[in-house]
Amino acid sequence: MNPSRRPTYLAAALVALGLCLPAAAQEEIKIGVIYPLTGAAASTGLELKNAAQLAADLINGTDRSLNLPLAGAGGLPKLKGAKLKLVFADHQGSPQVGATEAERLITQEKVAALSGCYFSSVTTTASQTAERYGVPFLNGESSSPQLTQRGFKWFFRTTPHDELFVQNAFEFLRDLEKKKGLKPRRIAILAENTEFGTGAAKLQEKYAKEGGYEIVEKVLYPPKSTQLTSEVQKLKAARPDIVMQSSYLGDAILSMKTYKELGFVPTALVANNAGFNDSEFLKTMGKDGDFVISREVWALDLAARKPVIAKANELLRARHQVDFNGNSARAFTAIFALAEAINRAGSTKPEDIQKALRETNIPADQLIMPWGGIQFDETGQNRKGAGIIIQVQGGQKVTVWPFDLAGKDVIWPFPSWDKR
Amino acid sequence: MTAQLLLQTLLSGILIGLVYALVAVGLTLIFGVMDIVNFAHGEFLMLGMYAAFWGFALWKLDPLFTLPLTALLLFALGAALYRLIIRRITDAPMLSQIFATFGLMILFRGLAQYLWKPDFRSVGESVVAGKVAFAGLQFGLPQVVAALGAVLTTAAVWWFLRSTRLGAALEATAADKEAAALMGIDAQKMFALAWGLGAACAGVAGALLSTYYPIFPEVGSTFILVAFVLVALGGFGSVAGAFWAGILVGVVEVVGGFLWDPAYKMVLVLSLYLLVVWLRPQGLLGKA
Amino acid sequence: MSRRAKLVWLAAALVALLFPLVAARPTWQNTAILMLMTAQMGVAWNILGGYAGQVSLGHAAFFGAGAYVSTLLSIKLGLSPWLGMVAGAGVSAGLSLLVGWPCFRLKGHYFAMATIAVGEIVQAVVNGWEFLGGAVGFYLPLQEKGFWGFVFNRSKLPYYYIALGLLAFSLLVNWAVARSRTGYYLRAIKDEPDAARSLGVSLTRYKQTAMVISSALAAMGGTLYAQKELFIDPGSTLSTSLSIKMALAAIMGGVGTLAGPVVGAVVLTAIEEASRVAFGGTGRGTDLVVYGGLIVVIAVFQPAGILGLFASRRGPARAAPAEAPAKEAA
Repeated sequence: MNPSRRPTYLAAALVALGLCLPAAAQEEIKIGVIYPLTGAAASTGLELKNAAQLAADLINGTDRSLNLPLAGAGGLPKLKGAKLKLVFADHQGSPQVGATEAERLITQEKVAALSGCYFSSVTTTASQTAERYGVPFLNGESSSPQLTQRGFKWFFRTTPHDELFVQNAFEFLRDLEKKKGLKPRRIAILAENTEFGTGAAKLQEKYAKEGGYEIVEKVLYPPKSTQLTSEVQKLKAARPDIVMQSSYLGDAILSMKTYKELGFVPTALVANNAGFNDSEFLKTMGKDGDFVISREVWALDLAARKPVIAKANELLRARHQVDFNGNSARAFTAIFALAEAINRAGSTKPEDIQKALRETNIPADQLIMPWGGIQFDETGQNRKGAGIIIQVQGGQKVTVWPFDLAGKDVIWPFPSWDKR
Repeated sequence: MTAQLLLQTLLSGILIGLVYALVAVGLTLIFGVMDIVNFAHGEFLMLGMYAAFWGFALWKLDPLFTLPLTALLLFALGAALYRLIIRRITDAPMLSQIFATFGLMILFRGLAQYLWKPDFRSVGESVVAGKVAFAGLQFGLPQVVAALGAVLTTAAVWWFLRSTRLGAALEATAADKEAAALMGIDAQKMFALAWGLGAACAGVAGALLSTYYPIFPEVGSTFILVAFVLVALGGFGSVAGAFWAGILVGVVEVVGGFLWDPAYKMVLVLSLYLLVVWLRPQGLLGKA
Repeated sequence: MSRRAKLVWLAAALVALLFPLVAARPTWQNTAILMLMTAQMGVAWNILGGYAGQVSLGHAAFFGAGAYVSTLLSIKLGLSPWLGMVAGAGVSAGLSLLVGWPCFRLKGHYFAMATIAVGEIVQAVVNGWEFLGGAVGFYLPLQEKGFWGFVFNRSKLPYYYIALGLLAFSLLVNWAVARSRTGYYLRAIKDEPDAARSLGVSLTRYKQTAMVISSALAAMGGTLYAQKELFIDPGSTLSTSLSIKMALAAIMGGVGTLAGPVVGAVVLTAIEEASRVAFGGTGRGTDLVVYGGLIVVIAVFQPAGILGLFASRRGPARAAPAEAPAKEAA
């Protein structure tokens, strides 16, 4: 070392020490968040990232007007006000990359917990890595039922899974029959032939059988098709009352355009979330997106009953000029649930966080979701999750079921394309 | 199942097949002249879509009005790409060329996401919104216009190759580089021309598709496999082959998917392709 | 092999053996495992694509065959994945006969295109086949099973050394093939197909031999993938992008050379991981720009692969590496 430099080092060390004393509290708690930030799902991944970051900033900030756990706490109070820092990683839609990034976040970035990954296949491998290392993994938005059936000790999931969602759709149909005397019987299924689509189609067949509905056609198609004409012709030929559709964004848009092109009008289109609930869907479809019914976990009109929804949404709008949707609202909620547990644990030791997560009990009124709260069962699944059914009316997604939460009445049947 | 329904799917298949054909014509042009398979060809289509989109988003210009401009832009890009990059690997082995164009593919996707975000975009209300209906059949106007535009463009390329001096020079280069050079044709210019034309074809196809297909950075990947199949099925380097293969593949995909199972529509197309090249290794209209 | 080449290989082997003991960080070890796995795939691909000059862009089908066979045998019959690896290699070799028979009628780009088609068909069929897990794929149970069970939770080292062993085995096979009669004919087929045919070399038979070996090795890599990630689905083990990656590793390093795929895999993986770690979290696609841009740069300035850099000092870039083993065979 150059002797003449020594005073400088000393001074620097002193300054650093001085900064550290009052700021010992200013430690950071890192959470690793893995989303698809490149590739075909990058647009959704970015939406999730923005929502998660907003959640962290609310916890680190001082705006106490939102009734969400720790919002405005200026950090985690039980950890001496340590700030929450989200470390984002990109899994590119690849299960192997997901596992690689999970390992990097755990061992290099020393994150206290992980969240992500949107794709069920990637959540599978990334949560395996977390399980190997004994680090808590909180998933907020993957809906494959198998994820919580693996007997993992470190995996928790706030969102309900596809089984409940499909069940919801059929409860909705039953309620329509009971309360409004509508009797759709013939169901056609259109689903992409991926894990998500085929899984949903299987559940739909199961519940249709139990409910006494007739499956008149089941069409599985390869995602990212250049055209969906044959698929839609098949549906049209089957003359269904209801089309139950599971598609991601690109195919959701293309299928709607093809319905219009070929003048296909079922009594109702009941979508299984995904592409139909993406913010881009309505932006792209304009009024052609109207009257689509979809299962959801969140809708803006729920704000009438929960003012916190409107406030949170304004904050997101101010930053990114978009409203929340089911996906981003769940990513937002996952960060709150994780932060709340870490704070309650009062420690960043994995075992303590795991224990805290097991004891999590966030009441319904501290969520932007229409859920009964957050409380995990022994498999790590939130037992208080719930779904809603929304319909696009006048370019807005409105809640139409359960009827006691409904903002508007469901419009039934789907009007023909030339009468809009 | 009625004959009418079958006719409807058949015509739908031809409509999309014509657009496939235009994408493949660009690819086969480049191949015919230079023996290079361009993995980044789908990205030319993607850039064509974005050109149409930005014309619409910024200046409210319909993709159809900006079509010539899109074609020019893509032509310039293709030619520039040749001058800057491809020129250097003309004599490299086939594998290095695959490698380079594969890198370009990733680079363009990354750039598109970097510049324009990964969002799905679309051209809201194009002038071609609406429907064509006759004899109980119906087609979306955007699809019909896209198919028509594709046919016209393909015909224009065909005319150019057959009836102009420049086109003849291009064909001569494709047939025999050394002989063409002896006749005083500048091969470098021809290669740049082929890349320009090839990119312009894909760009025009993209602009035509933009009236009804969502636009996003990865959209090229959707069309590239079909384009590859067409080029090989029609015969590498054969413009006419690519055209007829496009119609054939469009019909097999749509009608086959309708009659059988849409989950296997590409399996059907690919099996047909394998069968054809097994019987006729040079493709439908390729030179043996 | 020259004395100098032997020394380089020895040094590389030593470094590879000691690396995980020095670099204890799991991330480094994991990256190294990815490099070894990519290298092994590249070596497997190179036997057909590099030595025999038959460019396959459907090798994921063989890789996937290995992953699926071992996984099925382990889930349904409780067989050790090691046996599954052998079975997978067998199934894959059988599949390659089925693919090779029609495809070897085709040359150059036609062959490459046909293999893409085969790969896509296999992916679509598995995707719709319930018995093979369909689109959902298979989870393997996450429990420490030791060497025979091929699942290791406590440490990355077993995976590292298994990947290294598999790569060494593949290199050995490659080396043996290259110096054998088959290797001699393969080069003849690649460089002078007409002359080879006129001398009475059965082109298809030797190409097919190369493909059987190449696909069996690729399948072994597939089994390792399945046991490491403990999850397989059509998208991750059968996709065309995976096929292209295998070829990329070989091309980037130098096709038709023993060391090419290894060098290529190390550089490719390093670029991929580094660009993603540095920029992936931004969500702006910067990592793709860097990754794609570097590939273009290498392809343009070093079309014969990175190994060409070293060979060019002594002779023509492309000829030198291919010639080395040829001399030994002769």
